[in-house]
Amino acid sequence: MIELWNTIIFEPVLNSLIALCTILVDNFGFAIIALTVIVRVVLFPLTMRQTQSTKAMQSLQPKLQELQKKYAKNQQKLQQETMKLYKEAGINPLGCLWPMLVQLPIWIALYQSIMRALAATPENLLDLSQHLYSWQIVAQAVPLNENFLWLQLSQPDRYLLLAILVGVTMWVQQKMVTAPATDPKQRSMTQMTTLMMPLMFAMFTLSFPSGLALYWVVSNIIGIVIQYFVTGGWGYLTMPSVLKPASSQKPIPTRKLSAAQQPSKIAKKASEQSKTLQKDSGEKRGLFKR
Amino acid sequence: MLPLAALSLVAFSCVAPSGGGGCGGPAPQGWSGFASYNGTLYFGSMDGRVFAFDPSARSRGVTFPGEGEWVFAIEAPAAPGSMCGPLGCAPASVAVNIYSTPAAADNLVYVGTYYVKGGGAEGKVLAMSPSARGEGRVFPVRKENEWVYPHDKYGAVGAIVGDLALDESTIYIGSSDGKVYALDTIYGDLKWEFETGDKIWTSPAVKDGIVYVGNYEGKLYALSSQDGSLRWEIELPTSIASSPVVSGDSVFFGTFDNYLYAIDSASGKEKWRFKGGNWFWANPVVKDGVVYAGCLDHRIYALDARAGIELWQFVADAPIVSTPVLTGNLLIAVSKSGEMYVLEANGGALERTVSIGSSVMAPLYAEENMVYVHARNRCVCGVDVQSGEKVWELCYSDID
Repeated sequence: MIELWNTIIFEPVLNSLIALCTILVDNFGFAIIALTVIVRVVLFPLTMRQTQSTKAMQSLQPKLQELQKKYAKNQQKLQQETMKLYKEAGINPLGCLWPMLVQLPIWIALYQSIMRALAATPENLLDLSQHLYSWQIVAQAVPLNENFLWLQLSQPDRYLLLAILVGVTMWVQQKMVTAPATDPKQRSMTQMTTLMMPLMFAMFTLSFPSGLALYWVVSNIIGIVIQYFVTGGWGYLTMPSVLKPASSQKPIPTRKLSAAQQPSKIAKKASEQSKTLQKDSGEKRGLFKR
Repeated sequence: MLPLAALSLVAFSCVAPSGGGGCGGPAPQGWSGFASYNGTLYFGSMDGRVFAFDPSARSRGVTFPGEGEWVFAIEAPAAPGSMCGPLGCAPASVAVNIYSTPAAADNLVYVGTYYVKGGGAEGKVLAMSPSARGEGRVFPVRKENEWVYPHDKYGAVGAIVGDLALDESTIYIGSSDGKVYALDTIYGDLKWEFETGDKIWTSPAVKDGIVYVGNYEGKLYALSSQDGSLRWEIELPTSIASSPVVSGDSVFFGTFDNYLYAIDSASGKEKWRFKGGNWFWANPVVKDGVVYAGCLDHRIYALDARAGIELWQFVADAPIVSTPVLTGNLLIAVSKSGEMYVLEANGGALERTVSIGSSVMAPLYAEENMVYVHARNRCVCGVDVQSGEKVWELCYSDID
């Protein structure tokens, strides 16, 4: 299994990363940034699909919350009604998962490649030899030049700057996509997660090689940019974490999307369904009111 | 993408290729070989200790430590006070690893260390007196000429991975900080240092007043052993993977583009190069006009030292990491999987194989018919190459 993983996914990513290092004037920092951008661009259609599915799911939230209130004491009925709602809206609740599952192996391979390519110890370097192609462009870069800006990429950042960057970018990205909850319990849980995850990753940064933290920062920034253009703004980042009555909420500024960025048919349908549902229930809690 | 990043982190740990040591791959452990002096063998263990053992006492099955045998735990220089972070405080002491094979002369045993401290890898050079270590006295005993370089308690050089090279009254060290240090063997004082500009993870070689050393910038330097002045330098297309070995008027070494080079020791001009299927990581061994080179492509090559023409090759079951040895007309090599091959040096015919029982990365050492192996299961053993019998084994994990 490991052999198969190495041959099909890990080694192509690893060797591409090292080859990029040679191309980019023997600078592994640039190679990490470049490969993260390339992978993000290649996976962009999947990311878009995932984001739109999530958005469509979120647009059903008002109706779902109503159902939760209505059938709070009957879980079986709640499940039935929830599924019915999804069916009527034409949404597969697992629809936002599969694009993520497809992307996951690539991200894991990229993650592994950065860690392995840095070869911080003699054992790591020796281990690297078993995963390299016999390309001259790869051989030229090994062992990699680990200096980038103020960082030694195989060592943690001594100046905490990277930890702060990882924490802040992750928080922004997460805040943009996390819908404020009305239920106090759920709200507290959401707030905790939104804060804890960036903090946790900032902590990891203090002990992990800074090359990996660089990848997290770049990946988060690209994620923020994609999110910004897909949702047409800063999403929930500019929203208060506690929902106020609908009349006091201001609409989120929206951006005009290009043809390529137009929502998919599923998302459009879900959005329309959501509007109908909102109209029916007399509420205006949806965030993407395009 | 946050869930992706978090999931990646967890999943990474699960699918990471085997080798242990967490998400970054194998953790540093070391792979010291053996040095012999006055009938005693010295090696650095994978837990940062220096062992002195008498091979004959091991053969007789005497409980360790027998007479003249000892073990000394090297302590990395502790930072002043413990290091505190958001998750609590960690002790100031750090684990020491020993990659370099000790050197021994004039009643002193020299060891280079490797330890990770404050986000970087550092090292020190220690000179130990066998008698003071045998008596368990507090290190360093000045009267016994023991010393540590740098002399400053909190000082350090870059981590030492290559072996130490001894020549008369000087010891030469290549360091991860990119410098070559020449130290006085008796007092440990710095005679000279030379900045190469990039990491040195291989050993220097000394011959006829010249120190040869390669760095990870792909440069090979020839320095005067007297004052460290540059005689010549060459730049190769890729970095240097194995330590240079000087024989006759040639310097032999492997590079990361899978070549084994022969360079003229006087001018630095390339004589020939031979392409293998992977890195020549193990140091080549040269005798009677033949270069024996173990390669990570699982092969052992025998090449004509003058022309670089292949004389024979032997295919092993796994990469050859550990430097082979010659004893009599036999070439002994061990693969990473722990399979030892006893080959005829002349034609490469396989005489016998011996299973060591664990992975081997440390260089082999031979004395007469015995070959000594330091395996990854934290055991050392003596193998009689004539009979193919593992005569004794000493596992040091249980030794205090």
